[in-house]
Amino acid sequence: MQHAALLVEFAEALHGTDAGRQLRARQAIAGALGDVALVDAAAIVASFNAVVKIADATGIPLEDYKAAATEDLRRDLALERFNRNAGTG
Amino acid sequence: MKETTTAVPEPLPTREGLAHEIERAWQRLAAPGTWFRAAERLAIAQEVRNARACALCLRRKSALSPYADSGTHSHAGALPDSLVEIVHRIASDAGRLKQSWVRTMIDGGISEEQYVEATGVIALVAALDGFDRSLGRPQRPWPAPLAGEPSRQRPTGAKPGFAWVATVAPQDIVAGEPNPYAVHGEKNIHRALSLVPQEVFNFFDVDVELYLKDHEIRDFATEYRALSHPQIELLAGRVSALNGCYY
Repeated sequence: MQHAALLVEFAEALHGTDAGRQLRARQAIAGALGDVALVDAAAIVASFNAVVKIADATGIPLEDYKAAATEDLRRDLALERFNRNAGTG
Repeated sequence: MKETTTAVPEPLPTREGLAHEIERAWQRLAAPGTWFRAAERLAIAQEVRNARACALCLRRKSALSPYADSGTHSHAGALPDSLVEIVHRIASDAGRLKQSWVRTMIDGGISEEQYVEATGVIALVAALDGFDRSLGRPQRPWPAPLAGEPSRQRPTGAKPGFAWVATVAPQDIVAGEPNPYAVHGEKNIHRALSLVPQEVFNFFDVDVELYLKDHEIRDFATEYRALSHPQIELLAGRVSALNGCYY
């Protein structure tokens, strides 16, 4: 995938508080992918930082088909330890 | 060379649909809601911002046990303490919320419907401020609150049991009542705020422009953004992982 490292750095820089790192990440995206892509990348980050609050605050369950599709992965990584819907409330 | 700004040069080109929905979302924040007046919605929005610098929220965020510290939030004083606690905790540490905490909040004087509307406002502010922050833009001033009373309409088909709050299943939508599923799809995340249907519209009307419409997500034959599907999903996945998102 093209520019994967730049996109990951963009996400990680924005998750932190280092303004200089954030500026460099923005400039890197704009330089490599263009200003339109920078706006789209900012929009994706905004969306996924927001929608998680809805899921977390309401305890909405994962869809059955998603749970089934990721069953092996979740078992291998022991992710069910973090399942807040499992009754420990 | 010394950096004098944290933003890239403006104006940045913004898709018409995205620009339109962002402006509409800002106006919706300042409109009377279903269970809160406009001024109360804006007070909730302000507490989302206050939470970023709240000493109690910062201590809890770094604590192994976020429920052990029962100090006082740094807030503007416009909302009851229980609502301030709801807003600050969801805004600052949503990944460690517990069902028992939600029930305590609802039993403590904030109705279940108000809790859901507050969650919608919090998520909307997180999206709108987050978009500006991602581009290095300054925070916008709040729009002026619009006059009017909340509609106070609880969906007839709302039932408990599916999530921590009551929800309306797609098949339980009553004719003549708002049906956000017809617009945004029937994923569980669309159902999360369905106790207050207008909040589903308020959030997802702009979210589908920030991210993608439901039918666009798996339409790999068409690219809808300046980023490809794999690039979008890589970015979304990394952000979700950083947030510890289970969904």
